Amino acid sequence: MAQKKDVWQGTLAVMVLKTLDTLGPLHGYGIARRIEQTSGDLLAVNYGTLYPALLKLEQEGYISSEWGVSDNNRKAKYYKLTRAGKKQLEREAREWEQTTNILARFLSPGEEPS
Amino acid sequence: MRGLRAWLLRLVGSFRKERDDREFADEMESHLQMHIDDNLRSGMSALEARRRALLKLGGIEPTKEIYRERRGLPMLETVLQDLRYAVRTLRKNPGFTIIAVLTLALGIGANTAIFSMVNALLLHPYNFPDLDRLVRVWENRGIDEGADARLIAPQDAADLLSGAAVFDALTTYKCGDLNLSAEGNVQPALGCQVSANFFDVLGVGPALGRAFNASEEQPGADQVAVVSYGLWQRRFAGDAALLGKVIQINGKKYTVVGIMPRGFDYPVPMELWVPLGLSPAEKTDRAKLSLESLGRLKLGISVAQARSAADSVSRRLQQEYPTTNANRRSEVLQLRRELYLYTLPLFLLLQTAAVFVLLLACANLANLLFARIFGRQREIAVRTALGAGRWRLARLFVTETLLLACIAGGVAVAGSFWSVKVLRTSIAPSWTMWVPGWDGIQVDRTVLAFTVLLIAIVGLLFGLGTVLHSGQALPYAALKEAGRGPMLGSKCRLRSALVVAQVMFALVLLVCAGLTTQAFLHLVDVYQGFQAASVLRTEIRLPEKSYPENSQIASFYDRVLRGSASLPGVSAAALVTNSPASNVDNETTFFTISGRPAVNASEVPSADLQISSPNYFSVLRIPLVAGRAYSYADNANAARVAVISRSMAVRYWPKGDELGQQIKLGPANSKEPWMTVVGVVEDVRQNWWNPTSRPTIYEPFFQTPQRSMVFLMRVASNPAGYASGIREVVRGIDDQIGLTGVGTLEREITDSIAIIRIMGVLMALFGCVALALSSVGVYGVLAEGVARRIPEIGVRLALGAEPRDVMKLVLGQAVKLTGIGLAIGVPIALAVNRAMSSLIFGIVSINLLLLAGFTLLLLVVALAAAYLPARRAMRVDPLVALRHE
Repeated sequence: MAQKKDVWQGTLAVMVLKTLDTLGPLHGYGIARRIEQTSGDLLAVNYGTLYPALLKLEQEGYISSEWGVSDNNRKAKYYKLTRAGKKQLEREAREWEQTTNILARFLSPGEEPS
Repeated sequence: MRGLRAWLLRLVGSFRKERDDREFADEMESHLQMHIDDNLRSGMSALEARRRALLKLGGIEPTKEIYRERRGLPMLETVLQDLRYAVRTLRKNPGFTIIAVLTLALGIGANTAIFSMVNALLLHPYNFPDLDRLVRVWENRGIDEGADARLIAPQDAADLLSGAAVFDALTTYKCGDLNLSAEGNVQPALGCQVSANFFDVLGVGPALGRAFNASEEQPGADQVAVVSYGLWQRRFAGDAALLGKVIQINGKKYTVVGIMPRGFDYPVPMELWVPLGLSPAEKTDRAKLSLESLGRLKLGISVAQARSAADSVSRRLQQEYPTTNANRRSEVLQLRRELYLYTLPLFLLLQTAAVFVLLLACANLANLLFARIFGRQREIAVRTALGAGRWRLARLFVTETLLLACIAGGVAVAGSFWSVKVLRTSIAPSWTMWVPGWDGIQVDRTVLAFTVLLIAIVGLLFGLGTVLHSGQALPYAALKEAGRGPMLGSKCRLRSALVVAQVMFALVLLVCAGLTTQAFLHLVDVYQGFQAASVLRTEIRLPEKSYPENSQIASFYDRVLRGSASLPGVSAAALVTNSPASNVDNETTFFTISGRPAVNASEVPSADLQISSPNYFSVLRIPLVAGRAYSYADNANAARVAVISRSMAVRYWPKGDELGQQIKLGPANSKEPWMTVVGVVEDVRQNWWNPTSRPTIYEPFFQTPQRSMVFLMRVASNPAGYASGIREVVRGIDDQIGLTGVGTLEREITDSIAIIRIMGVLMALFGCVALALSSVGVYGVLAEGVARRIPEIGVRLALGAEPRDVMKLVLGQAVKLTGIGLAIGVPIALAVNRAMSSLIFGIVSINLLLLAGFTLLLLVVALAAAYLPARRAMRVDPLVALRHE
């Protein structure tokens, strides 16, 4: 269980960083919606994990937050990617690519040397 | 790095909970509202939109909880929570807190104060780099030389350095008073002649100017001087231009080349150093032990290695130079341990006593704590029932006791700054200046570290003890009984055991205190054989340069004696080389009895040597046992005579035929003249640490004049008032001579045993504290027991027991507890008693009366402490007690 959650948290962090990279400053609700949409509604973001994840990223200095006003005039806390966050995103993206490549090689049929 | 940053932010987050909570609630609210807005936009009804949004958001409270945990450091928060709780509990019970803090502070403070002395005097008496490699090196001629005579022959020192190969360097020096005259006035200054490498070996260089160089060891080139910081400030007003100036020492001109840094006064308390300019003949001398020596060991060489290397060199010298070096062995001792002979037993004793006080305080505090836990059983039970784990409860208790220990430690440290200063200034500086490290007695980093360690140990130990103790509390039983009914057996036993231990500690401490106090009182009488009242003393030293001849010395002192004797009110005046209670051992010498030559060198007898002027015995009222005392007629032209002490007469002439016998100093082949024994005087105890008087030979001063003498003068009354009179007399004879240590002999005696007095006061203090603590302990346990047994007592009374029986019950318990404590304590006290008699130089002997007295005292105090609870038990109203049931 613990293992799965960690992986999930790790991926959630990448997703948050990528979302902020693509869309610019955004509030928690927006980030959640965006992740759900991008995943084709395959993922349901649990808020119990989203907000602690945002806090952790902020404590680590990858994102920063600021209160602002949303499109429909509601007060909301906006999260923004920092420079360190941008670098972290690149690093994470590279690592993910590698991991998926390796996994893909294992899982694709017929290419195993006999 | 990221981890650290996050951790720091979390640390900060731990302290700003409320603000952050509000902010997160706002964020959640805005999240919810935006979701509802979206749902409305997609066509839901207001109610449905809200319901869906809330559903999606899930439980808000759990989210907040997870968020909170991420925001701060949960571990730290529980610690803070525990701390807040502990502060609250302690504040709620001010009585308990004050008693606990004071008890502990007393225990810790006593240890801090004593340790500051141990630290300064035993661990860091000097401030030299690599102190542990510095060793004193001297030679022993096979007689008891006394700890002050640690001398070596110049050529032997050179041979040791080259032959033993364990020393990086070896330096030699020779100390004595120098008469320093600057700008016209003469004052004695304490100074040493030192080899050029003296300061290098110690590893301390001058703060200003330079040290000596090797060429300045040549006689004639040696008129340069280094002065101490203190002397520079005091005598030369810190004059920056002193370097290069010419000062007069013993009438000769010296150029000041260096000023030592503040605090440097080796060997204590020197203030002036000049080169040791030995002539070639003096340098190669092997016959006379004339120099002190200090070596720096090579890196990695242990003292034991150095000792055995020096020993083999000594043995070689014994064979090569049998005439001078027979029986001569070399000794090596760490500089740091030089005074251990005197200081170690005293401070070991004090530190042990301080630890005992702390243990007593701890036993008391443990009792208080356990009593409180009993009262808090219900609270513990409720907490356990609500799901608090053992670990969580344990942390709660440990936090509480640690907090207590910290507060007590704080109080103790604050108090020790004051008490250490009192200790440091409690002995006259004229004595403490001779004790290396005495000025360093202070609460420094080492002492603070020691105290912190003590606090941690005490706090943790108590916390854990409490935890283990409370572990027995069964939640269901406790909830039901809620702190009523008799104590569980094991707990009662534990607390009783603590009281027993307290009584035991108290007895041992009281016996120690009694013995030291007795020793002190006894010490004043220890200087038997003479009468110190109405005697004024001072030291006079004549410089060799202006008094090279014996006749000049004799005539100077003759004029001093005649001049002072003619002062009104003076009944007699005399000279002696070493006055009693000087805290310096007498010179020791070999001697030979005519007609009884020693067969081999190791059997040559030895005795203390005192040189005194004719009236010495009458000034100090030392009784004449047989024969006559010498007179002015026994001068340089008369036949040589000597007076011996009674113990010497008894030892060497058991038949009582000592008068008229011939003796001479040195072994049979020595060139010393034969002296006729003309009289026997009573033994005089020289110093408090000599358990018995040693055989002593007295030689008439006018047959062997010495430059440095102690002048003694018996007057009708108020001897201190004659100080100016004797100064005047000496100035009238030679205005270049200064006097040192002018004061009454009685004062000298009290000062010489000041350290024992302080020990006595401290021990008495510790003993009183022990008595108070143990009586509080007895009272606490009995009062607690009675309170708990009120229902039982009620039943007893209802069933017809007399109040007297109830009182007996309580008092009986007190007697039982104290009795067991005393039964264990008496043998321990006896053992301590025996150890102490040997520790403090046989001044006190085992004292059964003292032991019996304190045993009785403790019993009485315990009964008195039991009286209040017993009275309360007697007055229990059976009806009231039973209604509670």
